This record gives sequence, structure tokens and C-alpha cells, in this order.
Amino acid sequence: MKKIFAICFLSVVFQLRAQETFVVNGVIKDADNNETLAGVNILFPELQRGTVSNDYGFYSIKIPKGEHVMEISFLGYQTSRVKIDAKENINMDFSLSTATQDLEEVVITEDIERLNISRPEMSVNKLEITTIQKLPVVFGEVDIIKSLLLLPGVSNAGEASSGFNVRGGAADQNLILLDEATIYNASHLFGLFSVFNPDAIKNLKLYKGGIPANYGGRVSSVLDIYQKDGNSRKFEANGGIGLISSRLLAQGPIQKEKSSFLVGGRSSYAHLFLKLTDNENVAYFYDLNTKLTFRLDAKNTILFSGYFGRDVFKLSESFNNTYGNSVFNLRWNHILKENIFSNLSLIYSDYYYGLTLDFVGFNWNSGIKNLNFKYDLDHYVNKDISLNYGLQSTWYEFNPGEIEPNSPASGIIASELTKKYAFESAAYISLEHSFSDKFSAEYGLRYSSFLRFGQEELNLYPAEGPVTYNSRFGIYEKTEPTGTKNLSKNKIERSFGNLEPRIALAYVLADNQSVKMSYNRMTQYLHLITNTSSPTPLDVWAPSGRYIDPQSLDQVAAGYYRTFSGEKYSLEIEGFYKTLENRLDYIDGANLIANDAIEQVILPGEARAYGAELLLKKNKGDFTGWFAYTLSRSEQRTPGRTSEEPGINNSQWYATAYDKTHDLSVTGSYQLSQKWDFNASFIYQTGLPTTYPTAQYKFEELTIPVYSARNSNRLPDYHRLDLSATYTPQKERRSTYSSSWNFGIYNVYARKNAVSISFRENQDTRRNEAIRLSLFGIVPSVTYNFKF
Amino acid sequence: MKKIILLFLVLSLYSCEDVVDVDLKESAPRLVIEASLLWNADRKQNAQVIKLTTTAPFFQDEVPPAIGASVWIITETGREFIFEEVEDGIFRYENFPLLPNVEHQLLITYNNELYTATEKLVPVPQLDFVEQEIGGFSGDEYEFKVYYRDPADMRNYYLFRYINERVSLQIYDDEFTDGNRTFAFFNDEDARSGDIVMFEIQGITRGFYDYMFILRSQSGSSNGGPFRTQPSIVRGNIVNTTNPENFPFGYFRMSTINHLVYEVE
Repeated sequence: MKKIFAICFLSVVFQLRAQETFVVNGVIKDADNNETLAGVNILFPELQRGTVSNDYGFYSIKIPKGEHVMEISFLGYQTSRVKIDAKENINMDFSLSTATQDLEEVVITEDIERLNISRPEMSVNKLEITTIQKLPVVFGEVDIIKSLLLLPGVSNAGEASSGFNVRGGAADQNLILLDEATIYNASHLFGLFSVFNPDAIKNLKLYKGGIPANYGGRVSSVLDIYQKDGNSRKFEANGGIGLISSRLLAQGPIQKEKSSFLVGGRSSYAHLFLKLTDNENVAYFYDLNTKLTFRLDAKNTILFSGYFGRDVFKLSESFNNTYGNSVFNLRWNHILKENIFSNLSLIYSDYYYGLTLDFVGFNWNSGIKNLNFKYDLDHYVNKDISLNYGLQSTWYEFNPGEIEPNSPASGIIASELTKKYAFESAAYISLEHSFSDKFSAEYGLRYSSFLRFGQEELNLYPAEGPVTYNSRFGIYEKTEPTGTKNLSKNKIERSFGNLEPRIALAYVLADNQSVKMSYNRMTQYLHLITNTSSPTPLDVWAPSGRYIDPQSLDQVAAGYYRTFSGEKYSLEIEGFYKTLENRLDYIDGANLIANDAIEQVILPGEARAYGAELLLKKNKGDFTGWFAYTLSRSEQRTPGRTSEEPGINNSQWYATAYDKTHDLSVTGSYQLSQKWDFNASFIYQTGLPTTYPTAQYKFEELTIPVYSARNSNRLPDYHRLDLSATYTPQKERRSTYSSSWNFGIYNVYARKNAVSISFRENQDTRRNEAIRLSLFGIVPSVTYNFKF
Repeated sequence: MKKIILLFLVLSLYSCEDVVDVDLKESAPRLVIEASLLWNADRKQNAQVIKLTTTAPFFQDEVPPAIGASVWIITETGREFIFEEVEDGIFRYENFPLLPNVEHQLLITYNNELYTATEKLVPVPQLDFVEQEIGGFSGDEYEFKVYYRDPADMRNYYLFRYINERVSLQIYDDEFTDGNRTFAFFNDEDARSGDIVMFEIQGITRGFYDYMFILRSQSGSSNGGPFRTQPSIVRGNIVNTTNPENFPFGYFRMSTINHLVYEVE
């Protein structure tokens, strides 16, 4: 490995002695609203070289002295061509106009597709927000995460589950970033909806593999979401009224062309799910997105962004529950040199969970807070090499829970589970290197470290550790601590350091075809403590420390990529294999709520996942859409620590709660006219793993099912068809007001898909029954959207 | 529990439950021992019953009794109590004396295999009074809080029973209530004013608390859906000493109990 790096660096040095060159740099924007555009292709066709704008719209490219044609192209926008005469370094910003219907058939040169095909970036899914907004969804509530589930390699643990699973990874293994800030729980209403207001989102990218070195901290995937900057040309507002929630978003210039604001809100209607009862019950969610952008000069931009969201449930006096994320972020984009772009971020993010239960007599709150500092640089060294390096550090405070009596009559003693503190930092460097016309690579190294600080009353255990195997009864039990240790939170209790190599290679077979390969190692120091199929809002995050080691993942992936008829069609086929160490599993009967000694109920295990994905897309024309298919397997096991111990599930591999052998989705969108467009999606998935009983017995008047090996059965297969149509009335000539109606039908043929099959005794007949729970029969919806 | 309530709350309007046919594999029968010896705290002796059954296919209406067993208890002080089989699988001992702080060993022979377990009596506090309210999810459920004082400076575990037309169980520990006056909570949508209901408190061991915690999470309607926990084989404290692989289900415990009879207002 070292040798390879040495050779690469040497080649950097050699290429520095090239002919006389100049730098062209600038920012690419949308002509309508001045939003910066990421991922735009910048090409010099006759030089056979090009680059791509970064997340902040910045590009920089070196070209030889002389006159050249420069071509700027981006799917959905008109391609722009300019002639430039390079006699010195040139700073040039571009504004791209959206492609209108009749202009869409612009001739696309061969080179553009080559750029997409030839870059080493792989296993990445991008979804345009405009595509997401058209997809049919339950209740017409546009949802980023639910839309991602239509892509290969992305699934979840059933219709009502929260979070999502990427390539057989767990829901807590996804790094979800909103304007670079970590979101700890991306669900509203236990996963029915996600926390992202689609109106406020500019773009998103999901990395399933080949994850570049600038990301870390989660092992499975990265979902990188950017909010809009705000329109710095003119004031505009848009919003929508739906069955579940209403939205309103306003944006406009503070100082024209230079600074802008964006503020958006979304709220569901209270009493939404509770209209059948007439007491004072409420259940709703809301979120707020804000952004301020100041372009100080050509070299400096300051961005301030914020997100605040909450879910609230109240059931008369007896029950009151609030939870949600807050995020504040200050960023400074600075162009250090014509070919060096830097971004400095200061981020605060927290997740809060609060609960009052009158029938237990307590108030409860828990959460996680972090302060994050990031400094990232993009360095466009020469035509073949660009570098990306930086530093990231995060300070965490974990509050596993505070409990207090909610009234004088309550017998609860106020107590606080021990707060925990940690510091995570990383340094990385990554090169995107094109060795020849055909062969390019992105390779990098990330070093991450995690310092777990001291805490009050850290339990100490005898030699067998925090979990004891009781061989007489054949069960795992908590070990009684032998004592406790108090260590100041300024002292380090345990530290970890890990090298995380990342490499991706691309080889062009022909102008429109390439093969790619990648390997990445990822380390995750935080564990979401949850033993349910899908995480719940009250699950707490636990840092690695004396008794918990970090999760460590290795993934290899390989793929074949091809475009047809210009970029009209694209095909991606990928295979992956990944293994994970230190996946926590829970001993039978582990109670995780308000547990101050989680180490007593967990055992470290391992997980693995492998599969193949196919994505065929039609990108252009009146009809667009895609066909996605995933064949995969995701499983885990927790062997005994000694040969005498049975481990969990008798040390056997078992399917994870979100393992789906076949996962197929077909999505289509047809633009009939300027007024009407139609969308449809069809999903077919293997039923989720479950465990059925093999016998029953009676004990203390309870009927107890006897279960077999974990997840050795399957629910019936899941399939569903959704349709939607958008009607956009012709705009009045002079009016700035425009609107559209979205009509949707979810689950058109009203299939009763099983969310679960449970086994219980019927209270009236006293006979045992298998009960299928299904959600959402056929659900029609209508949403009105407006803009002015 | 909390999760279940919430899920129910969110989805009740849009979900639908159907009884479906499922083909299940069947596992070989095992012995099930329900040896819950209970003494009223104010009495010196009680009749005790131990039930032996076997597991049965899940959809079978009855679980069969285990026939041909013998059951007896030996104390560490050398006293022996031989239970009499009064019905198939039902063993009884009249006037079993209350012997605090003495280890009792349960011995059962069945199909030429010997099953044993050892326990001590667990004490229990009084039930003091009941508070009732009307509320809950539907707004017209009866909610009862039955108060007791937890003994200070020791870990205590309780099993509560609420007996009206139906019997419901709750288990509590005193992690957050040690030494305080606190309550157990029950709700009953079928209760009517004038009903005579009974509350019962039983002192239990940590082992039995953990055992019931798992049992409860696997019975009833709480074993499905995205917020379910993994079901598992639940092992109790009784060991097959002849053939440990052929372990029994069930538990041997010795609890003192107190009652409170209450008229619903």
C-alpha cells in the first residue's frame, strides 16, 4: 500500500514541471436564483480535459496558454459554450438556465458522457429534488428518504419503520448530513415521514460504497444533503397544503446578488391521527429551516444555516412526549489561491428526547449534543490531479437520561444516568488522479481517533467482564460490578485510533463504458443502543469506551457502467461484499430503557452483507424513469466468547431484520403536456425475516409461544403500486403566481402487505391466532403547491 | 411498552388486523413447570399447587398435562414435603408452612429424568390504598394506582395482579423508587362503578423479574411490528440434571403476597 502512495506522490512532482499553464476558476450558478450548482461538468473538448464543480459550486482547472472552447453542462440545464483566451489566470462565473422542453434535445458531445463514465466515483446515488417531488408517496407527503428506497441497495425494515438501510447495513450506520451537520434521527412520527422539508433542499447524494476519505464516523453510507442558499436575485415564496402538513418557504436577496436569506417552515396538523377521540390528545410535528448567505467578494462567502424540528405527542394528562433535532452551522468558503478552495465549518447539533409518563410518575429526558469543527480544502493541483484534505473534530456530550418525579405524589427519586463525554477527530487526504485517458483513481487515507473521557461511577467488573454466562440455567446474566471508578471528564479513560484507507479505480473500456472498483474501510465509534427491528426515538447513542469497541467495516465493490444513445439511457451494475466487526447484539431480555450499565446486556458480534445491484435509467425525453433491482443478503452472528457459551442464536448466522433477498422497483414519469404529468412506481420485495413459534405453553395464565431460531421465517412478499399526477394550470400572463395540484393514490390495488405477523391468544375465544398487521390500504391524497 | 403505545397511537387509524393462516413447524414437546408457591403474609401456612404440563403445537386448544411425574420439596434444614397428584399434572400440598430464610429445593422426576431448582421465600410490603381516575386513550377507561411503601436500601422486585373479570399482571422494580411510597398502575376499560376488584402484590426475586420481563415481551400482541424485540427461548431456573439439553420451561419461586380489595367508585 505504502509503495503505491509513494509512486503516486512522485508522479505529482513530475507533473508539476509541465508547460506554461493558467488556471480558470469560478462558481457555477443557476441563472434563475443564483443558487450554486454542484456536480456541473466543465469541459475543454479539444484538450480532452475537464472537471466537476464541488459542493459549493466552485471549479478550478488548469489549461495551457492559448484559445480554447469551454463547455459547461449539467443535466436539466442548457449547455453553455464560451471561447476563452488563456494569457493569464481567469476567474469566470457561469449562470446556467434551466433547459426548457424544446431545448432539451441539445446535441450532447461524446465527451460529457465520458466524464461521468470515467470518473472513479462509484456507488453513488443522486436524486434531483424535482424528481423526488413528483414521485407518488403516501398521503402525498414528499419524502426524501422514502424516495431513496426506490434506488438499488437502499431498503428499510418495513412500511412503518424509521430510518433506512444501505447495502444490508443498520439504520444507525448511515451518516446523515444536513449542510454538513449530523442528524441523529431523521424520522418524524416514528418513521412515517422524514425530517427534511423538500422545499428547502437543493441537492442530495447517497454514498453506498467507495466512500471518499472526507467522510467518516459511520460505516454503512453517507447521505449528504445541502439546503438551498436562498435566491439572491429576487424575492420568492412557495408552499403547499397537503393532507398531513402545510409548508411555506420564503427566500430573497438581502443585498441583491450578494446576500440572501431563506426561511422555511413545515407543520403537520395537530389531532391528525387522533380525531376519533374527543379528549385533549395531540400528535404533530414541525420543522424550521433557515439559511443566510453572504457573498463578501469573489473569494469569500459566509453561510449560516439552521434546522430545528420537533415531534410532539400529548395524551390528556397521562402522556407527553417531545423529540427532535436542532442544528446550527456557520461556514466560511474561502478561495485561498486560484486553485485552492477551502471551507471552514463550525457546527452545533443536538438531539433531544423528552417524555412525561403520569402512570409511572416521572419526567424523562435524554439526548446527544455535539460541537463540530471542520476544515476542508480542495486543491486542484494540475490537469490530472486534484487533492482533497482536511481536519475534522467533534466534541460529544451524551445524556443517557435524567429522571425526575412529575408530582409530589410520585414515588420516583430524581436521578441522572451518568453523562458521558468523548472527542472524535480525523485527518484525511484524498487524491483524484487520472493516470491516462482511460485510467483514473481516487485514493486516500483517513486517520480517525476517538478519546473517551472520564465519567462518574464507571462500573468495574471481575475478570469475566460485564456479562456472565450462567451455565446452570444456560442464560447470559448481568455481572455485579465489583466497584466503581470516578475519573474526571478532563482525563482520558480510553483512546482509539484507526487508519481508514479508501480507494476507487475507474477504467474506460470505450467512450460510453467503464468498469470501476473500490475498497473502503470505515470506523464507527458511536453505537445506537436498540434491540428492536427498527430504531425508536428514545434509543440512546453510546460511545465506544472501556467495554465497547468501535465498529469496523471493510467493503469492496465493483461495477460496470454504460450509457446509450447520448446520455439518454444509463446502466449501472454493481456487486458488493462487506464485513463488519463489533456489531453489538443484546442478550435475551435486555432492558435498554434507563439502563446505566449497557455493557451488562451486550455482546459483540459480527455482520456481513453481499449482493448485486442493477440500475437502468432513462434520463431524457417526455418519459423518464428507472428500473432498480437488488439481490442481496444481510446477516449477523454473535458467537460465544468461549466454546462453552452458546452465544446468541446458538452462534449461528441469522438474517438481519431488514434483509430482503429480492428488491425491485420500477419508477416512471411521463410528461403529457405542459399541464399534466403522470408518475408511477411499483415495488416488489421479498418478505422481511421474522420468527414464528414452533409450540406454546401456559405459565401464570399467560400463553407463551416457543420460538425457533431467529429470523428463520419470512413474512409474505411485499408489493405495491403507487400513482400520481401533477396538474399545472397555465400561468396568467402578468401574474407571478403559479400553482400546481398533485393527486396521488398509494397502494392502488389495496394489497394488505404484512408489517408483521404476531401470535397471541384471542382474549374472547381463548384460542391462539396468527394476526397479520397491515398498514395503509389504498390511500388517496391531494396536495396544492404554490409559488409567487 | 411505551413504544407499543406510541406505535398504536400513530397507526391506529390506518392499520388493519386480520387473522391469517400460517403453517408452523412443530418442535418436540418439553416439560413445563409452574411452581409458584404463594403465602399470604398474614398466615403461617398455605395450600400449595404445582402444575406440570408439556408444550403443545401453537394452534392446539389445550396444553396437555404431564402425566406420571412425582414432585417433592426438601428444605436445607431437612424437612421434606411430598406433593400429591390430585388431578393429571396437578400436585398439591395442604398447609405448607411459611419458612423464611430457608432454602427449599424442588425435585421432580418425569420420564426418568430429574429436574431440580432451589429458592428462598421473598417478603413483601402491604398495599396501602387505591387512587382511581377516568381517562386513558379512549377517555373513559378506569385507571388505578395502588400504593405501597418500598423497603429502603435493598433491591426489591414485585409482581402485581389486578383481578376483575380478567386478570392482568405487572412487574416492577425499585431502581428509581427505592424506599419511597410508590404505586403500581392498572387500567381497565371494562370496569364499572360498584365492581369489587382485587389488587395483589407478590415479592419476587430478580431472576423471576427478568424471566417475566422476557415472557411478557413475547406473549400478547407486543411481539410484532417494526418495534418488536427479537423473540427467544426463555429459560427459567429449573434444571434437568439428568439431561441438561432437555431443559424444561417454567419457574420455581416462593413469594409472600398481600391483597387489597377495592370497590370501584
